[in-house]
Amino acid sequence: MKKIYIIGFLAMGLFIAGQAFAHTPLCSCWDNGDDTITCEGGFSDGSSAAGVIMRVTDSDGKVLINGKMNEDSEFTFKKPSMSYIVEFDAGKGHKIISKGEEILE
Amino acid sequence: MKKSILFLVGLVGSMMISINAFAHFQMVYTPEAALEKGGEIELKLVFTHPFEAGHTMDMGAPEQFFVIHKEKKNDLLKTLKPIIWKSLTNTGNAYETSYKLRGMGDWIFALTPAPYYEGSEDAYIQQITKMIVNVAGAPTDWDAEIGLPAEIVPLDKPYALWTGNVFRGVVKGDGKPVPFAEIEVEYLNHEPVMGKNKFAKKAKVKAPQDAFVTLAIKADANGVFSFGIPKAGWWGFAALGAGPSTEFKGKELSQDAVIWVKAVDMK
Repeated sequence: MKKIYIIGFLAMGLFIAGQAFAHTPLCSCWDNGDDTITCEGGFSDGSSAAGVIMRVTDSDGKVLINGKMNEDSEFTFKKPSMSYIVEFDAGKGHKIISKGEEILE
Repeated sequence: MKKSILFLVGLVGSMMISINAFAHFQMVYTPEAALEKGGEIELKLVFTHPFEAGHTMDMGAPEQFFVIHKEKKNDLLKTLKPIIWKSLTNTGNAYETSYKLRGMGDWIFALTPAPYYEGSEDAYIQQITKMIVNVAGAPTDWDAEIGLPAEIVPLDKPYALWTGNVFRGVVKGDGKPVPFAEIEVEYLNHEPVMGKNKFAKKAKVKAPQDAFVTLAIKADANGVFSFGIPKAGWWGFAALGAGPSTEFKGKELSQDAVIWVKAVDMK
């Protein structure tokens, strides 16, 4: 009987995880024109990206800035002086990379 | 003499009939509905016959023009600049503006034009029009009912349609579904040339008969309609007389609800 419960919970867990992967992560960044960059994140089902890890690295992968999406699913940071990459990291299969030179006003 | 008069009457008569056969459509146009990134977009407000790129009507000063993004409304009426739009047969007064999209999500542009007096029908037409642009695929507002007196509320994303998809919407008048609403559907058959404020001469398709120029469909008992989209590009839907106002300056008024959707080919 206990086994059934365990299997049940396991199945539920799988189901929840499955739901989480059914949508696509989205992230879009723009240059505010005042030496800052803002990125906005979300998911294709309309759910929020609040709390998602944001990482700004140089082209060699060295981390310049570590942060998180705020409650409005936004993350603003000072524009690095060198070429950089922004990583939206919502877990495995949910990463989005934006190149600094493609982030425009 | 008699013969020539008869001929003239016949000619005028047939001209009137052919004018009536094509539907008026208020356009709120921008080239792309689904953008990868934000930025400035150009908008043209033209009252025309989109399939034929024919007679373009003179728009009066619009009553309302605004945009909704993440449930926030932004008035754009004062940003409108008058332009002259050139159709294949005439020119008409129209408007333009530009708008900067910041971030992701849906932007609903909504226009309430001034009622237009249609002499051939001795009546006024007011086409309250919605057009929705999306950035980066995040859905935020597209399915919202924004409280227009005549409104088509989409059931499918108007900017994320493959050619061959079905587009569905609910026709609403004063917030209530309009059972068996009459809807005219037209294809934007001549590409608008943004820099020149005119339609391209070249038609994308040819209608075999007038019933194919303006397609007439009806909503069901719940005001819901569906339409299978046969070709990529912009399609306009106009639910005739959906709004509650039926009179303007002592004459009949048709308060229509218009929405534009864009389909793209699977490639």
